[in-house]
Amino acid sequence: MQRSIVIIGAGPAGMAAAIEAVRRGCRVTVIDEGPRPGGQIYRQPHPALHGEDFAEPSELARKHRLIDGFQAVIDRIDYRAEANVYAVFPNGEIHLAQGDRTEVLRPDAMIIATGVREQAIPFPGWTIPGVMFAGGAQSILKAQRVLPGRNVVVAGCGPLPRVVAAQILRAGGSVAALASLRSLRAMLRYPRSLWCGRDILREGLRYEWTVLRARVPQFTGYVPVRAIGGERLEAVALARIDAEDRIVSGSEREIACDLLAINYGFVANSELAAMTGAEMRRDPVIGGWVAVTDAFGRTSVPGVFVAGDSAGLRGALVAECDGTIVGAAAAVPSTAVDGAALKTNLAATMARRTRHLEFQQAVRATLRLPDGIWRIVTDDTLVCRCENVRFGEIREALESGHRSLNAIKRNVRSGMGWCGGRTCLHAIASLAEAATGQAPAEMMTPRPMARPVPFAAIARQKRAAAE
Amino acid sequence: MPSEFQFTFEGKPVAAREGQSVAAALIAAGERCLRVDEAGNAKGVVCGIGFCWECRCSIDGVPDIRACMTPARPGMIVRRQRGLDGCSDR
Repeated sequence: MQRSIVIIGAGPAGMAAAIEAVRRGCRVTVIDEGPRPGGQIYRQPHPALHGEDFAEPSELARKHRLIDGFQAVIDRIDYRAEANVYAVFPNGEIHLAQGDRTEVLRPDAMIIATGVREQAIPFPGWTIPGVMFAGGAQSILKAQRVLPGRNVVVAGCGPLPRVVAAQILRAGGSVAALASLRSLRAMLRYPRSLWCGRDILREGLRYEWTVLRARVPQFTGYVPVRAIGGERLEAVALARIDAEDRIVSGSEREIACDLLAINYGFVANSELAAMTGAEMRRDPVIGGWVAVTDAFGRTSVPGVFVAGDSAGLRGALVAECDGTIVGAAAAVPSTAVDGAALKTNLAATMARRTRHLEFQQAVRATLRLPDGIWRIVTDDTLVCRCENVRFGEIREALESGHRSLNAIKRNVRSGMGWCGGRTCLHAIASLAEAATGQAPAEMMTPRPMARPVPFAAIARQKRAAAE
Repeated sequence: MPSEFQFTFEGKPVAAREGQSVAAALIAAGERCLRVDEAGNAKGVVCGIGFCWECRCSIDGVPDIRACMTPARPGMIVRRQRGLDGCSDR
């Protein structure tokens, strides 16, 4: 009988997995939140929105090659755009909401390819309109063709803020400052990684050149410590972090801007994987809690696979290889995964994956946050934006012995609002680690609903006939 | 749908292009504050991709609609939500 596979997410990993599973004769369903395939990194603008991309041509070529491959098989896929998975269960059930109804699927295997979201470090004033995630600002530019700000400060760590600064410049915006927690020179300690990632590096250097040519004031070792404004952002105060991770007094520089775009790395969208009961581990550099997976994306729960960044940040190129490998593994009975045939069959993809993964060594060096960075979170800082919980309340809960995210949530409501903790929980885990010397042992227990769904849609639930 | 059209935000006309989100059109129009929360804090677009829910506003009388995930349509009536008042629009 034809194997049924449900893939959650249509980014690089999800698309590649779908292509491979279709090629191997499976009945494939792809569920994606977006209106068009591509995920975040390969986000496609609405076809009516003509305009420039401000990205490197080689990046666009990669994006279109994969999307074209997906489009070529889309007729053979049950493709659900603008659909949300709000619950998964250890028995393999997937509950999704689409339009005004919900549906339950029970495939032979599920591939979770839900990617990552951006990580913020809260600081005083970060709730003022005009403070955005850098990738979010980029999505307004690349998918909406709108300049997210006229006079922008970009800040954070890793490569993304620099790319966003360059793209804003190319779109005609002005960048008042580029603040980097640390220099990207940290990457030079990994020459082998850089050689493996030389194509990506070349793109990065072109963005770097855009920033240099525009003579953007650069502040290395600086982070935003205060956003200033009321109904809209007016300025940001940057301060220097010294070698002991302390904010250097007197180093504050106030810079006028109408947009502050921040990115401190990424958090894995691993809530669905955790909901299946899969074994999880925590590594802040690759996205916090991620499912423990083997070389084929298998989790500790039979039939549940994770592919791409949601299994740990590794970038679009690894994610695409991952998708192919996991798609192939999910397409065969689990006994065949361990056989020599599949490994031989996937040897080229696995070698390519290893090479792209090698480059991530260098990238990770730029994403490692010093412990002291959490000192920019003052007692008055709103950490949980949905429920207006300040760090002082969280600190008191920690001092009273509430060390798990579940206990902190029960005491101060952090993580109970509209976003379900997706904006603040990773920061709270790191704040708890910085304050007590020990990270919470587990993520906040993810439960349905992973996304808000109207009761009326649950009342209109369709269940597939037993398979 | 015309390729360029208008909707209103707090009664003021806002220009949009077909395929743009409400959030993008509002940002292009210079609007930053899309909501005032229960504690009185002004809120705007933050994640831009739908996970933070900060940009939710009232659209055609329905509260709590994410501006960043909603395509702009001609004649749409978009309002700034204030605290829990958005609910009384229903």
